[in-house]
Amino acid sequence: MWSLENLAGGAVLLGLVMYAVFGGADFGGGIWTAFASGPLAREQRESLFHAIGPVWETNHVWLIFVVVTLFTCFPTGFGALFTVLLVPLVIVLIGINFRGAAFAFRHFGRRGRDHIPFMAGIFAVSSILTPFALGMAVTASVTGKILLIDGRVHAEPWFWLSPFTLVGGLVGMGVCAYLAPIYMAVRTDGELREDFRPRGIIAGLALGILTAVEVPVAMMDAPLFAGRLLASPAAFVVVLAVIFGIATQILLWKSRFLSAQIGAAGTVGLTITGFVAAMYPDFLAGQLTLAGAAAPHATLVAYFAILAVGTIILVPSLLFLYWTFRGEPDTELP
Amino acid sequence: MDHIVAARILMGISLGFHIVYSTIGIGLPLLLMIAEWRALRTGDELFHQLARHWIRPAGVLFAIGAVSGTVLSFELGFLWPRFMSFSGPIIGLAFSMEGFAFFTEAIFLALYIYGAERLSRGMLFFCTIPLTVASAFSAVFVISANAWMNTPAGFSLANGVLVDVHPLQAFANPAWAHEALHGTMAAYVATGFAMAGVSAAAMLRGRNLDLNKRALTLSLAVASVALPLMLISGDWAATILAVQQKPKLAAMEALFTTTRGAPLVIAGWPDPATGTVRYGIKIPKLLSLLAHRDFDAVVEGLDAFPPGTTPDPRIVHPFFDLMVGSSFIMVGAAAWFWWLRWRRREVPQGKWQLRALLFASPFGMIALESGWLVTEFGRQPWIAQGRMRVAEGVTTQSGIGLVLLTFLIVYLALTAGLLWLLFRPSSAGTGMETKQEVRHVEP
Ligand code: HDD
Ligand code: HEM
Ligand code: HEM
Repeated sequence: MWSLENLAGGAVLLGLVMYAVFGGADFGGGIWTAFASGPLAREQRESLFHAIGPVWETNHVWLIFVVVTLFTCFPTGFGALFTVLLVPLVIVLIGINFRGAAFAFRHFGRRGRDHIPFMAGIFAVSSILTPFALGMAVTASVTGKILLIDGRVHAEPWFWLSPFTLVGGLVGMGVCAYLAPIYMAVRTDGELREDFRPRGIIAGLALGILTAVEVPVAMMDAPLFAGRLLASPAAFVVVLAVIFGIATQILLWKSRFLSAQIGAAGTVGLTITGFVAAMYPDFLAGQLTLAGAAAPHATLVAYFAILAVGTIILVPSLLFLYWTFRGEPDTELP
Repeated sequence: MDHIVAARILMGISLGFHIVYSTIGIGLPLLLMIAEWRALRTGDELFHQLARHWIRPAGVLFAIGAVSGTVLSFELGFLWPRFMSFSGPIIGLAFSMEGFAFFTEAIFLALYIYGAERLSRGMLFFCTIPLTVASAFSAVFVISANAWMNTPAGFSLANGVLVDVHPLQAFANPAWAHEALHGTMAAYVATGFAMAGVSAAAMLRGRNLDLNKRALTLSLAVASVALPLMLISGDWAATILAVQQKPKLAAMEALFTTTRGAPLVIAGWPDPATGTVRYGIKIPKLLSLLAHRDFDAVVEGLDAFPPGTTPDPRIVHPFFDLMVGSSFIMVGAAAWFWWLRWRRREVPQGKWQLRALLFASPFGMIALESGWLVTEFGRQPWIAQGRMRVAEGVTTQSGIGLVLLTFLIVYLALTAGLLWLLFRPSSAGTGMETKQEVRHVEP
């Protein structure tokens, strides 16, 4: 259980959860700039942009962390995945590039308070596209349709496009759209906060429905995965995720925003953990185990040494960052 | 298009694109740090304003650096999955360290840019320190991966499977020291000259003289300290190549046949068919001296290696000359500036002086790009020198030509956006200027 391969798998999971919980909220912010509505639409948009500004680059690094951990610790698995998932991952990259650039261009290209709708539009569209494509890529990786024959990877050209992965893409979007308004409710007050609260509740419902739909779809499309998802211990994590999700809805209803924020992050973290737990002990469902995909022992030892030293630097810096930019977003920044 | 060719072009263009932004991401933090430090030490507010003035370019260029770097880390998987399956456990460690450097950079850059209203001035200065250190480290780390491709070390293979991985030996592989020093310093030279050019252009138009005089002096000072180090470390690099990567050296110097007392060939067009260099200028025995510190030393030419294992001098030699030539242009421009500065005890503002600096300003970036092309083209046909050929590392997936086309469009769009931003009428410093002026008047 505590073998280095499994721990390295845990590091991948950690990176995925952190990316979803932090980076996902940034994408969600982008999604809600597109759907800002009501008399305070402008304020909603501005507050989202201001909240994303200082943190999105840091949050983005979690994705790099996942990719680097994959190719360091699971090199054969990485090579196989990136070969067959070429198309959805290229879409992810395009989205990431346009989103980051559009955000920066809009932010630093502003004169006074002008809005630059073109850049904001690109930002919004790529904020929707990226988590969708990433959700597809991640779910496609568990379908069991990626085959290793004599050490070479094979898959149908469009295997990554199926009901299961399409719903997976929607779940990816849903996760982002769910987190952002809940985090924003903590940072805002008054009417603006009352705008974000129902958005969080609705997105929560949508996410709940989508994840529920994913289970029967998986049974048809990814039976091996579905079977493991419904067996313990993955099922146990999934039940926990459901409990967290319901509790978060109640907390939102009662306007307990800080607890709701923690609850929402927990829901997303547990959902992803359940998903990954259903894969265990495989890297590619039915084809390649974690142990079979893992790098030599010396590499894993060195990786964890780097992780330890890195954590010592990272944790205080991260705390300092989020602490500095806590609370109400500043409205007059560069 | 042949998918190996498409993959190589895509990798090269992506790296060439990323390096522009990441170079500034290494150089600019140092300039920010020095400016903030001067402001704190001397109480000269203009230095602080200068640093805040650089925030807009820093923010945008860092953002593009981050997203273009993400493309690269994915491309390692898309384009070279078989290479990464082999080398991931080794060079992955360098990239893992780099990951933490990225975190540190992103965090402290955000604190510096967005923290103006929330942090004290001392704290703002403090934030530039980890920013500068982390960005330099990220170069040193990623260059270790590249150096390993040039001189693979710290492992052995049994039936094509990695055994005996020694992470430290692999990280500190034989080419790492010279590449890391030369490659990181290059970022300071390139950024320093680029920023000096921006200030010189502004001064020529008579804009913001006080601010730009300081900006010019500061950026040129940083570049001028690093420039001699470039010449020394470049020479050191060449002597090491003469031992470790002989085919690359031969291609750089367009030396076709193994020669005792080899001449140095400047410029010219190497012609592999005849094994001669057309139109080149030959300086007798200089190559032997530079490579082995001995006028009569033997330098191996391309003929000393089996056919099909050596790089093409037609693409390596011209870029080497371009790198070295650029250094001399920059040395000239900088020397003229400091000479006048010393003579007149004042920042020289003559038209021709400023024009010379403006002319020299892109050559840092040109030298840096061409230096990388020397290193990368000079390793061909190997992806890991002597261990794995590019053709053995490339993906088996089809459609890479289409991916190349897609990313070309992405890069064009990003470049267009950037140009729009930089040349947006009077966008430079709007809004901020008024705010700073207000703050400036306040006690
Ligand atoms: C501002 C940029 C710049 C300047 C002025 C120079 N170089 Fe350079 N050079 C680079 C920027 C660069 C680089 C950052 O692009 C490279 C690519 C790989 C590396 O480590 O540094 C490089 C590589 C590189 C290599 C190959 C190293 C390898 O592949 O292992 C050699 C032999 C030299 N350089 C030599 C020189 C000499 C003799 C120079 C001056 C007389 C010089 N460089 C100036
Ligand atoms: C940033 C400056 C760099 C530039 C401008 C650059 C440029 C290039 C070019 C032009 C190629 C194609 C060579 C050919 O096919 O003839 C290439 C290949 C490659 N480079 Fe670099 N490179 C840079 C740094 C790096 C670094 C730091 C790495 C570290 C891992 C790296 C990894 C690779 C790989 C894996 C290939 C593909 C294999 C090959 O063609 O040899 N490059 N690069
Ligand atoms: C010599 C070549 C390189 C140098 C000096 C370099 C340096 C840097 C620096 C300083 C940054 C952060 C600053 C900025 O965003 O502008 C950066 C970003 C990045 N680089 Fe590079 N890099 C090089 C090549 C590569 C290669 C070969 C890869 C991957 C294969 C890579 C991957 C990345 C990634 C993923 C980021 C984004 C990090 C973030 O999210 O902030 N870089 N690079």
